[in-house]
Amino acid sequence: MNVRDWALIAFTILVQMSVGAMWVLRVAHSFATRKYGVEEADRLSDRALLALVPVIALAFVASLFHLGDPLNAYRAVTNLGSSWLSREIFFGVIFAVLAFVFAFLQWRKIGSFILRNVIAWLAELDGLVLVFSMSNVYLLQSQPAWNSWATPISFFATTFLLGALAMGAAFVANYAYLQRKEPGCADTQCTLMREVLRWVAAAAVLLVGVELVVLPMYLATLASGSTTGLASVQLMVGSFGWALALRVVLAFVGAGVLAMFLYQNALSAGHEKMLGNLAYASFVIVLAAEVLGRALFYAAHVRIGI
Amino acid sequence: MAKQKAFYFDASACTGCKACQVACQDKNDLPPEILWRRVFQYGGGSWLKQGETLVPNNLFTYSLSTACQHCESPVCRDVCPTAAITKRADGIVLIDAEKCIGCRYCQWACPYGAPQFDEETKVMTKCNFCYDLLDQGLNPACVDACVMRCLDFGDLDELRQKYGDLAAIEPLPTDKITLPALVITPHKHAQLSGHGTGQIQNLPEEV
Repeated sequence: MNVRDWALIAFTILVQMSVGAMWVLRVAHSFATRKYGVEEADRLSDRALLALVPVIALAFVASLFHLGDPLNAYRAVTNLGSSWLSREIFFGVIFAVLAFVFAFLQWRKIGSFILRNVIAWLAELDGLVLVFSMSNVYLLQSQPAWNSWATPISFFATTFLLGALAMGAAFVANYAYLQRKEPGCADTQCTLMREVLRWVAAAAVLLVGVELVVLPMYLATLASGSTTGLASVQLMVGSFGWALALRVVLAFVGAGVLAMFLYQNALSAGHEKMLGNLAYASFVIVLAAEVLGRALFYAAHVRIGI
Repeated sequence: MAKQKAFYFDASACTGCKACQVACQDKNDLPPEILWRRVFQYGGGSWLKQGETLVPNNLFTYSLSTACQHCESPVCRDVCPTAAITKRADGIVLIDAEKCIGCRYCQWACPYGAPQFDEETKVMTKCNFCYDLLDQGLNPACVDACVMRCLDFGDLDELRQKYGDLAAIEPLPTDKITLPALVITPHKHAQLSGHGTGQIQNLPEEV
């Protein structure tokens, strides 16, 4: 692993997390609007939305470290006709712009509710196309370890798993902030946070389930597919076996065990401190698991040929 | 049909001397770690112990000199995000160093290891078929350097008429992905791509 590889790990993880976070944030916001009105919904999610801005910016800065000639990075969108990498960067830039504009308008409450909604919807839909393009970048015939149905599934699983847990942590931080600034404020916010955290926790358990089912199926298909595929599997379970095992354990603990506790503690009021700790821990542990998984993705691919 | 420039390689005559590789580096002024043309030693089999004697058991080895195949369907060109890789009218595939941003995506995609990253210039480089020599009516440096006369070049269709259409022996990948402009006369022990029982015998830094 060198700087170039870490740049890709950071870029893909942060972008996927941001797309997922945007979806989770918007679903939570519309749920909150319907139940408690738009003001409470804004109080729940506006700060979390602002927090997304530096994350997206960081992702694109990180991507530059992958390039030999970063000053000419703008050229990367000039082969949209045949290059999925071009498309990835193109839809990535559109996502970033839409997300920034939406965050700004929403923060300053500029423009109508409908206008802001339209921009947010465009960002969300573009985000899905972005993750789809990102998966296609790796569907290269000469890379058996990547050229698999598991690549898009894992990318989308990472997107929504990290997105959900990142927003879970953000909502908890937001609530802690509200409480400090406006003591006793937040009966509605407290209930709202607990309700949203339950959905976040349930989504995490479901998505880690998907990941843990996909992984062995993927390894089995890859190992039986070709000698090059088998070489990748041998790397993943051999020299990098410790990383694979750690990745599975961390995902299981973070998105399985801790998310279950999170769900339980969110059922009734009075566990806010505990909820906070669980949401932070779950996010950090799953983030580590996903980074490790992505590092393996880049470390254990073996190209066919010479 | 448009002409497609292609390399011909006679694996039955190659001794693995690497004169082609050295001539290529010299002509193109390449740093030691960049090899536009590479010579692979592919071999397999084993030794059986019979009493105090080791007896060869299906031992074989042969050499393979290979560069960019200037493919009919160059995957490097298709995936390049900056459209820096183009195919000339004569089929030669070129990288425009001005447009390349050094993302190395072509390196992942090409199954022949043709595009290589230049740490000095921070962009990708690869065999350009010595198009400067070709345009003057001369031969590529590797072809002229071959002491066994086992490298040649010409129009793909004409080479195929002359030598057949084999383009995939081990350790090369299948020719179905990129349609390489390559014609090979096999060594008597050559194994078809995907059916190899041997390994590349070179040290990693040699190729």
